[in-house]
Amino acid sequence: MDNVVTHEDWKVCFSELGPGLVLFARQWVHSLADAEDIVQEAFVRFWKRNHSIESKGLLYAMVRTIALDVIRRDSRRARREAAAMSETEQSALAQFQTEDESQQALAAALDLLPKDQREVLVMKIWNELTFSEIGQALGVSQNTAASRYRYGLAALRKTLPPQ
Amino acid sequence: MNDFSDLESQLKSLRPTPLSESFVARVEEAMTTPAPEKAPENIIRPVQFQRRWIAGLSLAAAAAVLLLIRVNFQTPAGNKRVASVSPAPTSSAPVETTQRQTVPSTLIPSGATQVVYHKRDEGLRFVQNSDEPMRRMRSSTRETLQWRNPSTGASLRVSYPSEQIELIPVSGQ
Repeated sequence: MDNVVTHEDWKVCFSELGPGLVLFARQWVHSLADAEDIVQEAFVRFWKRNHSIESKGLLYAMVRTIALDVIRRDSRRARREAAAMSETEQSALAQFQTEDESQQALAAALDLLPKDQREVLVMKIWNELTFSEIGQALGVSQNTAASRYRYGLAALRKTLPPQ
Repeated sequence: MNDFSDLESQLKSLRPTPLSESFVARVEEAMTTPAPEKAPENIIRPVQFQRRWIAGLSLAAAAAVLLLIRVNFQTPAGNKRVASVSPAPTSSAPVETTQRQTVPSTLIPSGATQVVYHKRDEGLRFVQNSDEPMRRMRSSTRETLQWRNPSTGASLRVSYPSEQIELIPVSGQ
């Protein structure tokens, strides 16, 4: 709990964690603007409560809580977004900077994963959380988090075209 | 785990879209301005709603029980009145009369059960005015209350579903 809040500190943390947090939030709300709103609210609350920045699991739990509350608050909008998502199928690509077709296929395959597997992959790969931290954020055991991670990777491998 | 190392490195090579300048500026503005305390209240509204909903349901159940007890009270009173206008008791009746006087014609609580048929861990939550996270446990139960009238043998049973949300403080790291 000893993160001294200075102007530059939060900027450094936010620039490191922000892209991964937005990626994490976008699995519930497919519009970038909504995901940014959620991340902003979570990060500002997290920082102002002086939580240690080492407690990344708490930060993710906060993003998840806010995202789920947004969905509950406006389920109609969530349905509209889900419909728009299935029509355009461009959100997966928009979440990553892809350089070639194989990366585009990977991003698209990631978007097809079940949410419980995808969220673990996002936290592990792009935010480098431990399984213990992931379990804390999701309210599951670290073994469950690790299993979901392995299932997610296995599902991704099946989805991807053979190289 | 090693089987997936190639896939993991492919995934790591995917870079998430960087934050836009306007987004960072928005966050900066939010960080510098004092946060209104109203925002968190909005976020946990569903929890508050759940609590109020449970309280409302409990009150409704209690009111229904009271109403039913009142109805049951009135029936024995009517019987007494009929008895008072009946002919004078004969010598064979005194035992029954004294029994009626000593055992009140009321419903007495005879049992209460609470069956938890579903319990779910909903993970960590940040609740209103709390700096620490809390684990939210949601329990679905069915409560059954039973009353019995010892003099008439009549019984009343009320059963209703209820939902409880338990917030367990989690120690910080």
